[in-house]
Amino acid sequence: MAQKIAVKVDDLTVAYNYKPVLWDIDLEIPEGVLMAIVGPNGAGKSTLIKSILGILKPIAGSVSIYDKPYEKQRQLVAYVPQKGSVDWDFPTTALDVVMMGTYGSLGWIKRPKQKEKKQALEALEKVGMLPFKNRQISQLSGGQQQRIFLARALVQNASIYFMDEPFQGVDATTEIAIINILKELRKAGKTVIVVHHDLQTVPEYFDWVTFLNVKKIATGPVKDIFNDDNLTKTYGINYKVSIQE
Amino acid sequence: MMSSAQIEIQLIASLAAIACAIPGTFLVLRKMAMISDAISHSILPGIVIGFFITHDLNSPLLILLAAATGIITVILVEYIQKTGLVKEDTAIGLVFPALFSIGVILIAKNANDVHLDVDAVLLGELAFAPFDRFIISDIDLGPKSLWVIGSILIVTIGLLFAFFKELKVSTFDAGLAASLGFSPAIMHYGLMSIASVTTVGAFDAVGAILVVALMIAPAATAYLLTNNLKRMLLYAIGFGVFCAISGYWVAHWLDASIAGSITTMLGIIFLLVYLFAPNKGIIAVLYREKQQRTEVSLLTFLLHLKNHNEEEERHVNHLNEHINWQKVRSKTVLELALKNNMIVVDNNIVSLTEKGNDFTSQAIDYIITNEDAEIEHMKDDFFLFRG
Repeated sequence: MAQKIAVKVDDLTVAYNYKPVLWDIDLEIPEGVLMAIVGPNGAGKSTLIKSILGILKPIAGSVSIYDKPYEKQRQLVAYVPQKGSVDWDFPTTALDVVMMGTYGSLGWIKRPKQKEKKQALEALEKVGMLPFKNRQISQLSGGQQQRIFLARALVQNASIYFMDEPFQGVDATTEIAIINILKELRKAGKTVIVVHHDLQTVPEYFDWVTFLNVKKIATGPVKDIFNDDNLTKTYGINYKVSIQE
Repeated sequence: MMSSAQIEIQLIASLAAIACAIPGTFLVLRKMAMISDAISHSILPGIVIGFFITHDLNSPLLILLAAATGIITVILVEYIQKTGLVKEDTAIGLVFPALFSIGVILIAKNANDVHLDVDAVLLGELAFAPFDRFIISDIDLGPKSLWVIGSILIVTIGLLFAFFKELKVSTFDAGLAASLGFSPAIMHYGLMSIASVTTVGAFDAVGAILVVALMIAPAATAYLLTNNLKRMLLYAIGFGVFCAISGYWVAHWLDASIAGSITTMLGIIFLLVYLFAPNKGIIAVLYREKQQRTEVSLLTFLLHLKNHNEEEERHVNHLNEHINWQKVRSKTVLELALKNNMIVVDNNIVSLTEKGNDFTSQAIDYIITNEDAEIEHMKDDFFLFRG
């Protein structure tokens, strides 16, 4: 394949208290795919993302973003953590949270200015949250909070987007809105990697998929490898999913 | 007319309050209030050892040594917690009494040799602070502890201005901060260092233990009043200074401990705000819950009207027993609906107005779809739909 490799993971092993949660993962994610990472609870899906982003330190292996270590490529990467990972009672507004997406390009000490505010407002507009810009974040619904997180990633104007369960606890409208934005990102040549739970929607939303359960089971185009065989290997005995065409 | 000692005491207390409120705000937001309690106890051995070496409670070396004990506390707590054998609160409970007791034993063993009073360290003695002067070649530059706490405050404010955005993002979302390259560990230990240094520096003012009150109470009070981090910092500073000064005068009138009076004032202010804060206060919350109950009743009532065209179902008397409400409640709901022009009553038969009909449909749509955009304007009138 002539496609460039956006993310390359080599022999990655991660452990919590000496118990491996990811074991010897090799993974190549081509540029421009919209990829789902699927697997049962405790399969290490979030851990994989966090290790790629340098949030967790692996006990072995390495990760590269466009052939360079992550530390050198931060500007190319945006991250949407799980919504439940932050305290939504934090005293701040929707706009302010989105502005945080600009902090990376600002670097240490420098403060966001009008330019960053403008970018944040544009991102809010894109996710349909402009009318809520001054609202305290605890006053937003779950779907709105997820949109704010997405806007914060968009404002980073990255090449690669990592999202940890962006559809968790959001309403159907928000889910469609989010997936449409993700598909637009792919159209613009970006690489999007999503930890995903709903197997039914994999063929509809994604063109690339990675099966993970502590070890990597399979990775590749959805149309080639999203089948009962891989699902069974990932989720256990005789796992069947009826895929509607 | 205030004496210069009185002014100096209030100045020291106020600067200590500001220096504590700044790290305190972030400790409260990080849900780490207990860590400040742990630090305040476990710096005792650091203070004692520092005092053996320097023989001066205001020596910078003593402050650094004691602050280092604070950091050791944090590291020990995290280490014990990481083993996964005990939870964080247990780890805190294990570490600080151990360090604290080492300090107590050190003082007891050497009580004859050095002049160091447990009470003075733990409870502070602000009244004596003006006697220990900072004198360079016969020029009196004011009380030493004023210089100590002033320097700590300047450093704290400098760091706050420089790293405000980093502190904010790492407190709100450590994962994002890490992915952006702002190491949460650096911010964490930076904050812990400032909290430790401030605790040591402020123990003259309120004592090593009551300093927890100056860190946590103003921030917790401010948290109830605002949804804006900068304002929370300013309010916390304001409450801290207010309590420092008013506490001093309470102590003056009652002839009581200054530290005790400041802490009492902090408690009183928190209680008042806890009761009367406009949005998050207990009274506001109870009032809002009552309103919500009424509004749910109103909606139930409107729905009933919408679902039934038969006149007997819409007769005032029938409604009473049908919806199974007490008379008072039915009356409140009926009046609320009338006041908002949602219903008309004709010959004791209740009907929905056009506005009432629209409102009910919108409300039902919202409840079913949970889509917020359409009912933004309804939110202004009714509590029910606010988060």
